[in-house]
Amino acid sequence: MIVRDLLLSLLLCVTSAQADILPGGLIKLDGRPAPALKLADLDGKTTDLALLRGQWVMVHFWASWCGPCRRELPAIAAMAQTKPAALALVMVNTAETDDEVFAFLASVAPTLSTLLDIDGQVTERWQPRGLPSTFFVDPRGRLRYLALGGRPWDSGPYRRFLVGLAPEKRK
Amino acid sequence: MIVPAATADTDKDSGIKLHTSPRSPEQIAAFYEARGFPNTAIEALTQTCFVTVSFHNRSGDVVWLELSRWRFVDEHGREVKRRNRAYWNALWEKLGVPMANRATFGWTQLPEVRDLRPSEPVGGNVALLPPSGRFRLEARFATGAHKQGKEIIVILDDLSCPGREIK
Repeated sequence: MIVRDLLLSLLLCVTSAQADILPGGLIKLDGRPAPALKLADLDGKTTDLALLRGQWVMVHFWASWCGPCRRELPAIAAMAQTKPAALALVMVNTAETDDEVFAFLASVAPTLSTLLDIDGQVTERWQPRGLPSTFFVDPRGRLRYLALGGRPWDSGPYRRFLVGLAPEKRK
Repeated sequence: MIVPAATADTDKDSGIKLHTSPRSPEQIAAFYEARGFPNTAIEALTQTCFVTVSFHNRSGDVVWLELSRWRFVDEHGREVKRRNRAYWNALWEKLGVPMANRATFGWTQLPEVRDLRPSEPVGGNVALLPPSGRFRLEARFATGAHKQGKEIIVILDDLSCPGREIK
């Protein structure tokens, strides 16, 4: 356990140094523990944030009726294809039905998968500043960064930020 | 009935952009009906004037969105009353509106208070008791992390609620 904690601390030091220069619209958070997040996707498969400890997680809240969310989704879909494998992407749809989400994603971003916060209560616990909102949870399960509104995740500064969080291991 | 949107672009002076677009009852009904809101909720929503606001802080400092410092005033100088989140939460409770609908409604409203960071956008509706004529918005914004900066005042004239009788 001690060895694992030491390794996590080392990983956090390295990645936070690499992510010190933040791209526009990202702010540092105070490192409080991330709220619980355990939801199912359109296929009924459950994701539990607690089980993703040990890696960085990008938690993205969105809804199909939200214009900035719709504009941002193609960039997220492109980023998801090239993001570091060690960075997990967890998308959370806020308070829509599975039919609405299925029809929307199929036409706009068919490669993306999302969890369903059917009654919106998980989103309420996370208290995003609005939709869309993207949090970065560190390998210890703490909130480290927040993206304000939609961001061009597939562009240079944002790609470099994501790679800095979860650098690929050398073979 | 379409009423032109109003934009106050104060980029040159203060670096903020404020855009308002009043919605007709038909637009509001269509949006919330499509998201499964019950009829009792739709009825209440269509008796309200919703003004969609988009705001972008393009300055290099914190700008404070505080709806308590926004005044909507009619042609006779009378205040146009706002329906805040507490009003809606109480109404949804009374009408037994499902949690999913309450959550969606909440995310479609402009926050009551927000310390907008540089480059941060925010958008949402402001709910008003429908005035019968034209009205204006006087919005005041504190600036700086501790509100120590110069106050920004934005005035948008000649607003009206689409679908309401204009005198």
